[in-house]
Amino acid sequence: MSATAQVKVTRHFNASPERVFDAWLEPQTVGKWLFATPTGQTVRVEVDARAGGKWIIVDRRNGEDVEHSGEYVEIDRPRRLVFTFRVPKYSSLTTEVTVEIEPGESGCDLTLTQTNVPAEYLGSNEKGWTGILVGLAEYLAQYVAEHI
Amino acid sequence: MAALPGLVEFRINGSIRCDGFGSQMETMVNKYSTKWLTIFVHPLILNRMVERSNIALDPVFRALGDPTRRAMLRTLATGERNIGELAAPFRMSFAAASKHVKVLEGAGLVRRRVQGRRHVCRIQPAPLAAADEWLQFYHRLWTEQLDRLDALLESEDRRATERPKGKDAKR
Repeated sequence: MSATAQVKVTRHFNASPERVFDAWLEPQTVGKWLFATPTGQTVRVEVDARAGGKWIIVDRRNGEDVEHSGEYVEIDRPRRLVFTFRVPKYSSLTTEVTVEIEPGESGCDLTLTQTNVPAEYLGSNEKGWTGILVGLAEYLAQYVAEHI
Repeated sequence: MAALPGLVEFRINGSIRCDGFGSQMETMVNKYSTKWLTIFVHPLILNRMVERSNIALDPVFRALGDPTRRAMLRTLATGERNIGELAAPFRMSFAAASKHVKVLEGAGLVRRRVQGRRHVCRIQPAPLAAADEWLQFYHRLWTEQLDRLDALLESEDRRATERPKGKDAKR
């Protein structure tokens, strides 16, 4: 069972691992897709592509600026990219996003994992709060088996 | 109160679609979730519950970040308990257990009522559901982002093949 990994999305790309990886870090490329909403406009992209470097992407939606920002934690081209992520306008939570890219037969497979609970709230090797939901589900399944 | 955990069950089933859990869980919940839905609660009721309650997630995640409190919640999912009962498995004092319960209360995860000398605690599922909703939101968000990246790379490829080769091969 995964511990703190909460949101996981996998995707195949026909492009090479390098190209997919660079699309996250090249300012002119990343501004074209990441956090760009169909009706919005990306008005600011800053990428300091080194461990500890900051990134900011601002999307303007109906005249309202929404800032997405964070710091790069790990940059290992073209395999692995880890960065923190927050949207201060909507939440004070900082989450961590890990992008892993595996070369495939044609192109590559990308796995994105977002852990929701920042390190200061949760020790690194203890079970995440999903444990609760899992625990509840276990209980419920048992309850159903016994009562229904 | 059996209907209470039923609410949580629905949302658990929802979150499994976002790959947060192992496949064993998926099988188990798929097997039972429909029953739970029809027997206990219509999903809309819960959705309205979450919307109306306007739950702050930060305290929820903070409260859930502690293993003792998670264990307490797991116990409470099986029914009401007083503070002493919650403290028992941890060999902790009433005061220490009460402190944990206070954090859970602050996050809206637990409600406590005083019955004579007993402090009876009951789980409140709405914040768990809200936390799950949050996860689903991000699952959708990332799926959309990767869709857009894929579309961008594909369109660059098309443009590159339409042009005379040599130029802009990487773009």
